[in-house]
Amino acid sequence: MPEPIIELRNISKSFPGVQALSDVSFDVCPGEVHALVGENGAGKSTLIKIIAGVYEPNAGTVRFDSQTVQMLNPRHAQEMGIAAIYQESSLYNELSVAENIFMGRHPSAGKLGAVDWNAMFRESEEVLNRLGVQMDVHAKVGGLSTANRQRVEMAKALSKNAKVLIMDEPTASLSQHDVEALFSTVRILREHGVGIIYISHRLEEVFELGDRVTVLRDGHRVDTKPVSEVNQGQLVSMMVGRTLDTLFPKRDAEIGAPVLRVKNLSRRGLVSDVSFEVRSGEIVGLAGLVGAGRSELAQVLFGIYPAESGTVEISGKPAVIRNPRQAMALGLAYVPEDRQSQGLILPMKVRENITMAILETLTRFGFVSYGREDQIAQSYVDRLQIRTPSLSQLAMNLSGGNQQKIVVSKWLASAPKVLILDEPTRGIDIGAKAEIHRLMSQLAQQGLGIVMISSELPEILGMSDRILVVRKNTIVGEYLRGQATQEQIIATAMGLDNQVAEGGKTVERN
Amino acid sequence: MNATDAATPTKARRNVFSLVQSQEATLAVFLVILLAGLAIATPAFMDPQNIRDILVNASFPAIAAIGMTLVIISAEIDISIGAILAVVAVLTGNLALIGVPIPLVFLIGLIAGTLLGALNGALVAYARIPSIIVTLGALSFWRGLVIYFTQGAWIYNMPEAFHFAQRSWLGVPIPVWMMAVLVVLAGLFMRFSPLGRQFYAVGGNRQAALLAGIPVRRRLFLVFMLNGTFTAIAASIYASRFSVVQSNAGLGFEFQVITAVVIGGTSIMGGTGSIWGSFLGAVLMAVIATGMTFLKVSPYWLQTVQGSLILLAVILDVLRRRRAGAAAGP
Amino acid sequence: MTQDTQTASKPRFRVPAFFRSQEGLLFVILLIIMFVLSRMSEQFLTTNNLLALTRLFVEVGLMTLPMTMIIITGGTDLSVGSMFGFTSVMLGAAWQYWGLPLPIAMLVALGFGILCGSFNGLLVTKLKIPPLIVTLATLAIYRGLAFGVSQARSVRGWSEGFQFLGQGYIGPFPVQFLIWVVAAVAVALFLGRTAHGRYVYAIGNNETGARFSGIPVDRLKFALYAFSGFMAALAGIIFVSRVTTTRADAASGLELDVIAAVVLGGTSISGGSGSILGTSLGLLIISLLRNGLTLAGFKGDATVIIIGAVLVLAVWVNRLFAKQR
Repeated sequence: MPEPIIELRNISKSFPGVQALSDVSFDVCPGEVHALVGENGAGKSTLIKIIAGVYEPNAGTVRFDSQTVQMLNPRHAQEMGIAAIYQESSLYNELSVAENIFMGRHPSAGKLGAVDWNAMFRESEEVLNRLGVQMDVHAKVGGLSTANRQRVEMAKALSKNAKVLIMDEPTASLSQHDVEALFSTVRILREHGVGIIYISHRLEEVFELGDRVTVLRDGHRVDTKPVSEVNQGQLVSMMVGRTLDTLFPKRDAEIGAPVLRVKNLSRRGLVSDVSFEVRSGEIVGLAGLVGAGRSELAQVLFGIYPAESGTVEISGKPAVIRNPRQAMALGLAYVPEDRQSQGLILPMKVRENITMAILETLTRFGFVSYGREDQIAQSYVDRLQIRTPSLSQLAMNLSGGNQQKIVVSKWLASAPKVLILDEPTRGIDIGAKAEIHRLMSQLAQQGLGIVMISSELPEILGMSDRILVVRKNTIVGEYLRGQATQEQIIATAMGLDNQVAEGGKTVERN
Repeated sequence: MNATDAATPTKARRNVFSLVQSQEATLAVFLVILLAGLAIATPAFMDPQNIRDILVNASFPAIAAIGMTLVIISAEIDISIGAILAVVAVLTGNLALIGVPIPLVFLIGLIAGTLLGALNGALVAYARIPSIIVTLGALSFWRGLVIYFTQGAWIYNMPEAFHFAQRSWLGVPIPVWMMAVLVVLAGLFMRFSPLGRQFYAVGGNRQAALLAGIPVRRRLFLVFMLNGTFTAIAASIYASRFSVVQSNAGLGFEFQVITAVVIGGTSIMGGTGSIWGSFLGAVLMAVIATGMTFLKVSPYWLQTVQGSLILLAVILDVLRRRRAGAAAGP
Repeated sequence: MTQDTQTASKPRFRVPAFFRSQEGLLFVILLIIMFVLSRMSEQFLTTNNLLALTRLFVEVGLMTLPMTMIIITGGTDLSVGSMFGFTSVMLGAAWQYWGLPLPIAMLVALGFGILCGSFNGLLVTKLKIPPLIVTLATLAIYRGLAFGVSQARSVRGWSEGFQFLGQGYIGPFPVQFLIWVVAAVAVALFLGRTAHGRYVYAIGNNETGARFSGIPVDRLKFALYAFSGFMAALAGIIFVSRVTTTRADAASGLELDVIAAVVLGGTSISGGSGSILGTSLGLLIISLLRNGLTLAGFKGDATVIIIGAVLVLAVWVNRLFAKQR
């Protein structure tokens, strides 16, 4: 193995309230595909952002081309030869493929340095050919499919002689055919000596494409191994290998009649023919890999994107939900995945955030009754033990755990019959996690039906009465409490059919 | 399925000069149809003198539209050009009156317009104040200043040499020559100069432009400054066209120019557009204005037409972008 | 709203909280300006003069009320001046050409205001076109309609009863001043004390978060733009009553004063904060500045100079303060 082109040693990075990376070392060699895997929140995204110059590490060193460097900002990283392909585009939709590849470095000709369009079209075709791709370089990028846009980004990186290319979940929205094409393109890049960091939750890709694989877990590096020396089962164990501790005080609740019944719910691109039910007092866990469609299901149910077909019944009564307001009125509540941009209004106060969903019920003659507002806000602060200096504190100043409690309070205040929690304990400290789990048990005992979306398998296994596994926007498996193991759930989530265990049901899907 | 699938072979190489986007072609066709219609409705419309008048009327908006096109491509807006025009027109008129040599008069006017544009540019690029606010304030500030200094009086009796816009060369009026030359030069610049292409990047995806190493703030400053220069040239034509310079010169001029640019295919959200299209748009606006007079439609409806055209162009643009995005698909 | 911050060392002289806020600062500036103006002209500080001044700012003032809310949500409405002009022309047309009785004509004008504002709102919420662009286009369309419908002809001959609105007194106060005070208090109460008022701030601070919380974002925004049209029409009616004639170019450029007043009053141009109190102080300051310039010899139209400068300066200063926070 040649000298690494980029080497990270003992990198640590923390954000307020959470340690994203602890003492992680990682390197990439020229002409290698180094896969990076781990559950959500394991630290992959933080790691590559450090490489790309978006974040600065709190500790540790970065060496590029055998020299210690400090990545000042993304542009600096680019100049050194690091390219990244993210979900957000850095392409110009209204300009041609050729110009997107060469913007800022147009080939020029003549004494005046005029743009040589013919050369640009020719050279961009050449670069694309080197990638094994043929495309109309005159076409506007805005009209291209995701797969083609990716190719343009890769051509851009190649034409800049990038030494390191970061690919973050590149196959997330690609068809099988496009995925194959992507693989051959990646192989060509590898032959050109580019070092590729490949992040994916689809383990089959790691084995098809990768030379080495690094597993991250909870901000630590578990291990780095050549792909030929591991198998899928071992990788899975490394990714999830935690013991189930008694962190999850689940008490048994009386399970009653269905409070939510969903039949054939569909919305193109988001939800595909989903049917399930939730009973009063029950906690249903939704497991699945990133991008499987769990949050999308919740958001369609809650009316953020209204369903196109299917029926929903709440407490036995048919429900038509076209927007969150209607959902709330019918007894649904949704604690979103991204608490900062979806769950809270950060610049507003604690009390204002808590009462945001029920504000209109706190009015007298149209005016908000501050007394009742304070009362309700204080009651939730007490009940959920939210640590804040006062009700007037701005939400942005609170820790992650307390922020999450505020979002939960907001929705509890609406007295829902069904509560959907999307990654309720992600990015919060252990103490707050336990409190939220205790709260969930309490709520179940009080008769709520709870849907919990989580990527943390111990949490799913510890808290759920039933576990539904989601894959490709539909439900592919169902397990009862105590009848599943972490490996089984992951296997179902990945569609590895040869690991179906007894006691678990699979729903037939093509 | 998308036509630009990876499997599709490369299309035949196109001639650079025939890179006429569909909107300009549509516009040109529409212009021809409109002219034909007007010619049939009022034969006097096609009288050579009238055509010459239309081109002269279109000349200074077309020149100002060059600068405005650059601004809008960069995803900004400038609604102060009417006031800049007034300042330059009044300034040059007064300088000519007091006997300053004519070439110097227009040079000073050019510098004045450029400086006013640069001021806008500095406030947008470096003080980071939204361009709508900067140019809204500038519009009022400079116009108010003009009113104060002129006290509403009109300027006339300028020396003969001042009125270059009334003269012709080889049978074509000077302003039309200027328009042709500047449009061609600007068109070539935007097509072949790396700097010109950078404006498209700044307007199309500012974050990406920053990452690509383009000095975005400097480009924004430059684009407003250039707009001031082109407006100053337009002002010179405007001022020298008739024998008076009115104190309310340029009222509503910014709308005339923005409409020309927007219907010419430049998207008001930035990132795309062409000088050629704005030229056609300016000619179209002049044809519409003159046509309305010929058809005895009250000129008071002109602004409604302008605003409706802007809105129509914007709505079509929004729909087009949405369709392109949807067709691109997963 | 003033925040309580723990100061490491308390200065012996503590400036009261009010004066440390933007509203306090504006209040001080207002007093300074009034002092300066009173030196420039002896008549300035008389009750008569001050009350007469209020007539002039009411028309702008009414439009600043919805504008404050629209800017808080992160939008803008450049078409207010044109809606003002158009609806006042329609008032004249309804009364004189359609022969409608005056109260009905006034309702027609208000109706057109709501219609114009709703059109803006529709384009913003349904087609998702940026408000800046929508209202830039409708600024031209509505002004054009004003000119087109009226053909620049004025409608005169308004009755004494109608003129009372713009020229009369209730007690010592000009009628429109009281109308504005009532409207300002109503909108201030709405913004500050009702649920939907708080929603306006929520939308401006985090529109996605607001949607996820069940707030009817599109409906509220639509209502704000419609309200803007309504207020422009009301201002237009008062204007006609005050000058006893309709003009197609009425309120031309007045959007500048409206936006300047709102921004000067502390409303951030990027949305999320602002208050009616601040806007009112901004409004007073701008009106007094204009008045001062007139006293100093600037012809009426030339006084826009100061408004243009104030607008840019106010936004600049706002940005500087925002960064510090």
